Amino acid sequence: MNFARTMRALMVAPALCLMAGAALAQSYPNKPVRLVLPYSPGGIIDYVGRTMAQGLSTTLGQSVVAENRPGAGGITGTDTVARSAPDGYNLVLMDPAIVINPTLQASMPYDLFKQLTTVSIISTSPEVVVVAPDLPIKSLADLIAYGKANPGKLNFASAGIGTTPHLAGELFKQRTGIDATHVPYRSIGQSYPDMMNNKVQFAFSSIAGALPFTTDNRVRAIATTGNVRSNVYPDLPTVQETGLAGFEVDLWLGIFAPAATPADVIGKLNDAIRTTLKDPEVIKALAKVGVDPRGTTQKEGEAFLRDEFTKWKKVIEDGKIKEQQ
Amino acid sequence: MADVFSNIGLGLSVAASLQNLVYCMLGVVLGTLVGVLPGVGPVTTVAMLLPISFTLEPTSALILMAGIYYGAQYGGSTTAILINIPGEASSVITSLDGHQMARQGRAGPALGIAALGSFFAGCVATFIIAFGAPPLAKLALQFGPAEYFSLMLCGLVAAVVLARGSIIKAIAMVVLGLLFGLAGSDVNSGIRRFTFDMQGLADGIEFVALSMAIYGIAEVAINLERRQEEAKKVSAVGKLMPSGAELRACTPSILRGTFLGSILGVLPGGGALLAAFAAYTLEKKVAKPPRKFGEGDIRGVAAPESANNAGAQTSFIPMLTLGIPSNPTMALMIGALMVHGITPGPRVMTDRPELFWGVVASMWIGNLMLVILNLPMVGIWVKLLRMPYRLMFPMIVGFCCIGAYTINANVADIAVLAFFTCFGYLCLKLDCEPAPLILGFVLGPMMEENLRRALLISRGDPMVFVETPISIGFLLAAAGLLLVVAAPAIRRKREEAMAE
Repeated sequence: MNFARTMRALMVAPALCLMAGAALAQSYPNKPVRLVLPYSPGGIIDYVGRTMAQGLSTTLGQSVVAENRPGAGGITGTDTVARSAPDGYNLVLMDPAIVINPTLQASMPYDLFKQLTTVSIISTSPEVVVVAPDLPIKSLADLIAYGKANPGKLNFASAGIGTTPHLAGELFKQRTGIDATHVPYRSIGQSYPDMMNNKVQFAFSSIAGALPFTTDNRVRAIATTGNVRSNVYPDLPTVQETGLAGFEVDLWLGIFAPAATPADVIGKLNDAIRTTLKDPEVIKALAKVGVDPRGTTQKEGEAFLRDEFTKWKKVIEDGKIKEQQ
Repeated sequence: MADVFSNIGLGLSVAASLQNLVYCMLGVVLGTLVGVLPGVGPVTTVAMLLPISFTLEPTSALILMAGIYYGAQYGGSTTAILINIPGEASSVITSLDGHQMARQGRAGPALGIAALGSFFAGCVATFIIAFGAPPLAKLALQFGPAEYFSLMLCGLVAAVVLARGSIIKAIAMVVLGLLFGLAGSDVNSGIRRFTFDMQGLADGIEFVALSMAIYGIAEVAINLERRQEEAKKVSAVGKLMPSGAELRACTPSILRGTFLGSILGVLPGGGALLAAFAAYTLEKKVAKPPRKFGEGDIRGVAAPESANNAGAQTSFIPMLTLGIPSNPTMALMIGALMVHGITPGPRVMTDRPELFWGVVASMWIGNLMLVILNLPMVGIWVKLLRMPYRLMFPMIVGFCCIGAYTINANVADIAVLAFFTCFGYLCLKLDCEPAPLILGFVLGPMMEENLRRALLISRGDPMVFVETPISIGFLLAAAGLLLVVAAPAIRRKREEAMAE
């Protein structure tokens, strides 16, 4: 092999790649785009993902195909996209687990901040604090007072280790100093029969999970965790209003792409996402499960992701959650 | 009482509208198809149809989804009987006697009785939902972690009783099943157990891959060894419908299966599966001799098929009346209802009677459609068996691989399939029955989860298991079953000792 020729080829290659990238962005998208949903059908991600896929197909003029790749708390599906071609045809929709997993898991198959990039944080949704109806607890202050008066008696349910309901409960324990035992379930919906029977006493639940049980008061909703009140529960105060300053838990969703995806392709996608999120039909569909559209720029999204990563890392470390393993 | 009839009348008027009849038909046809095709389950199908369902009337949407769900139960037993590949956990039991019947050239009667038993169970379950939904829903709410644990324990003990042949081997297989079930992420700590750092095992061993390997491919391997005689047997297809005598023999089995299935199906944790196992165990104990269970006894198909269909149907009770999903398909249906602005719960029956009763009535109509659809199909299915084994074997292996892969699009599942094929072959060679292993595998994780949850809530106090009558009842039943099994063995031992 001729050395000079090899060197020339090596120098030309990146330039060719760049040119290919530019050409790519111009014609992008010219084939169906894959949107990986790393959870089983039936949850918020599945619903929002399919709604977005439909909306984005119209906006991009190219079909966006939602694909369930469940496994390992979202790691499997996210990993598929982290390893796939950075051409804008491989995207993943994820929830806060994407920033929680790297702290919680002993080993990760991918590096979140090196192999993936945020296209946009598309939505925001508070959690709702629900309590067993048998208890004389009508407000968050009641819950804290009850917890302090009955140390070691409270249990809180979650959708599993490291899920937002679990870490929200941990954060609550850390902020209020009350003692409560974490009881994990496979999904938050599974925990409701036990809450109705006062076997578990409270939970930070997703709105979609709580709605069937709060509409007829089979469990009692007492607060929401956003920084403003929820449209679904306009009468409930936020946790911040009740005195826990800065207590905010957001069940946000974001769309991510492989890190090496060309910037103009990301830009095009970001535009399409933000346009889609302004569609009244999409807004209406998301509102039904208590999700509000957000649509950040890529930069805002990246910064937000870092903040969330740091926030939950601290909760996990302060709560010594890894040590319990 | 009169109320119930006027409600059923309302339901029938809703379900029998042309539009809803079409959706019901579409649902059961699709369901039968995905039940027969390996790898595509009702969950995937319902998920794909979800966006379409948003544009439908909520009642029509639910009728369509329900049709897919119980239609798949029918389809799953077809493959279990014909090629010994149980499409779902609950049809594992059907394959025990069903496939034996097929190998003896009695696939027709097996498929026929499965369809008829399911139809009968479906009709009864529909009426149980109509009359008993509210009180049964209350019963389901009585089940906390401790009660579930005791129920599962009882189920496992029954698995030992269920096995034919050596009890020691059966116990060994149950325990092995429990151990395989432990692989994957621990619910309480998130730590990975027995995954050998393989990402593909993070959620445990895939059930469909395991059962396809043991029942599908390992059987093929065993059959290849005795190819000569097998080929002759299968070529005799025989008659298509169960005879009058067979129907008479099956009637009490179908009644018992329906009863058990209707009760157990109401429990949100894996009721339909337990129902099939329980019905089979019961048959083995109470059916009139001569009993030839495991060797192609038609009652071994009739009872579990009735039970799992009744269970599948009554599992709508916790979904419609409490908003608690028994399985992922139900979770999807709840999601679909919420999108339509209906929150599933006790108020659905009073606020939206046309929805509740319409869906209940459509189940009955759907079951009728399934029988009409499936009975003529029996002839076609049975013709499949005439296919020479040299063509059928590679097809079974191919279908199993495709099926195992498509569930999660996970290559590791094919490795699991390969491993358990070897394992299953070894078991069959050692004359160890796989049914207790499967039950241990399915119940083990649920049992562990509930045991640990109960102890977490009681702060480690084991008395929690003897605090409620339901839990005590199951524990006593388990102890009773153990005695039944152990007693003859003890007596024999003692006699031997005395003789010496």
